[in-house]
Amino acid sequence: MEHTPILNSLDPEMMEPILSRRDAIAKGATASSKVVAALALGSIPIALGALAKDVYGQTPADVLDVLQFALTLEYLEAEFYTRGVAGSGLIPAADVTIFTNIRNHENTHVTALQGIITGKGATPVAKPTFDFTAKGALAGFSFSSGQYATFQALAQAFEDTGVRAYKGQAGRLINDKAVLTAALTIHSVEARHASEVRRLRGLKGWITGSSRDDLPSFTQPIYDGEDNVTQAGLNISGLGSGNGGTAGVTEAFDEPLTKAQVLAIAAPFLA
Amino acid sequence: MARSTESMTVSSTAQFWEKSTRRDFMRLMGIGGAVVMLPTLFTSCSDSSNDTTGPGTGATVTIDFSKGDVAVLQFAYALEQLEADFYTRVVAGFSGSGLSSSEQTIFTDIKNHEVIHREALKTVLGTSNGFTLTPTYPGVSFTSRTSILATSSAFEELGVAAYNGAAQYLSDANNLLVAGKIVSVEARHASAIADLISPKSSAFAPSSFDNAYSPAKVAGAAQGFITDKLAFANPPAAFVQGPNNNG
Repeated sequence: MEHTPILNSLDPEMMEPILSRRDAIAKGATASSKVVAALALGSIPIALGALAKDVYGQTPADVLDVLQFALTLEYLEAEFYTRGVAGSGLIPAADVTIFTNIRNHENTHVTALQGIITGKGATPVAKPTFDFTAKGALAGFSFSSGQYATFQALAQAFEDTGVRAYKGQAGRLINDKAVLTAALTIHSVEARHASEVRRLRGLKGWITGSSRDDLPSFTQPIYDGEDNVTQAGLNISGLGSGNGGTAGVTEAFDEPLTKAQVLAIAAPFLA
Repeated sequence: MARSTESMTVSSTAQFWEKSTRRDFMRLMGIGGAVVMLPTLFTSCSDSSNDTTGPGTGATVTIDFSKGDVAVLQFAYALEQLEADFYTRVVAGFSGSGLSSSEQTIFTDIKNHEVIHREALKTVLGTSNGFTLTPTYPGVSFTSRTSILATSSAFEELGVAAYNGAAQYLSDANNLLVAGKIVSVEARHASAIADLISPKSSAFAPSSFDNAYSPAKVAGAAQGFITDKLAFANPPAAFVQGPNNNG
């Protein structure tokens, strides 16, 4: 469970959105008209930012915290794929379309989240400096020719983590429908990425039990807990009979990670 | 699509679900234009299902949104019934399906997942699970790999958009979590099937954001595969759009 100190709500950053919303209301500028205008311009990030302003009243600290957390993860993925696609001789020609597509999505997610955060009157967190050798666990990895296997393994690790990370935060967004829906539509795209990368590596697109398959041992926390068979408080392991057994039951449900669990997984990649 | 001659051709059920197709369909119907339905849509009853009644011709199944989270879970249960039935039929017909061995492995997994989703929701709903839908598959050929893949893709894409759009009506975070656990598996399916149809293209994830559809939009699409008449009571008044703004 996440605990957010009450004092967070007194963060000076919080005053700006309140004042700017009051200002907007006073001027008679409806946020919905900004949404329409932004969509007319074809800019999803701008539209998302405007949508954020549709939620009048206090911006819960929880929502901003989730957004900043998500942005940090998207920075990680965006830089990873940007460097991967740019890496000379790294990705075989046949697979370039796949990773270029994923790179584009992650970059768009970064821009969109920044837009939502800005729209709520806060300042997006800065992009961290990343270490894709995972503090030496993948010594020598530098997006170079001949390192495609490592690149793919990392891609799987990041995508499977991303799915679990967003899922674990959804509950904190339950009272902000616009952000919840935006986050969910990113969440399922990360799952599409995960499935594609896993299948590209010869694995199933879904996670069986808590298996990390052939990934290095330091990635095990990414899969711990995926073997859960209790859903909505009910043990459903019996439903596997005739339906793939316990393996099928665990594959049928992806599991969440807490923010703390995700940050621990991400820690080796933060320089 | 020959808009200039005010006619259109619908060659697959999946195509019906595309916004542009529906838009053109409605526009042409409104002005008396010609709409050509290719035979694959209607003439394959012999190898599609035993149903002799069309979509929406049976008894009415009403989901009452005044029940809050229960209604959302019932809605999900309805969709999972449809998916589970479809993949069960696919698996039962593997021998004549044209699906390769590796594809059959994937479809068996997906069948397992969808049946488990259906049964899990049925269990969670308890006394509120008292309806069983009768699916129908006009235009679907279970002896055509192409038709199976196209229909699977349509179901998975609809499922992802349905969960993403319906989540906003859940008030209990535990229910939201369950929905989140299911939708990402549906997205993994959607990705895999898209890649079978169009390998190593961008089809596995066609947009930076997935769709989020309102329950009404989802029901409209799903109705084409359900003999019962799917109805909503007290439908939600408002729908918060996702980034794609197409729900």
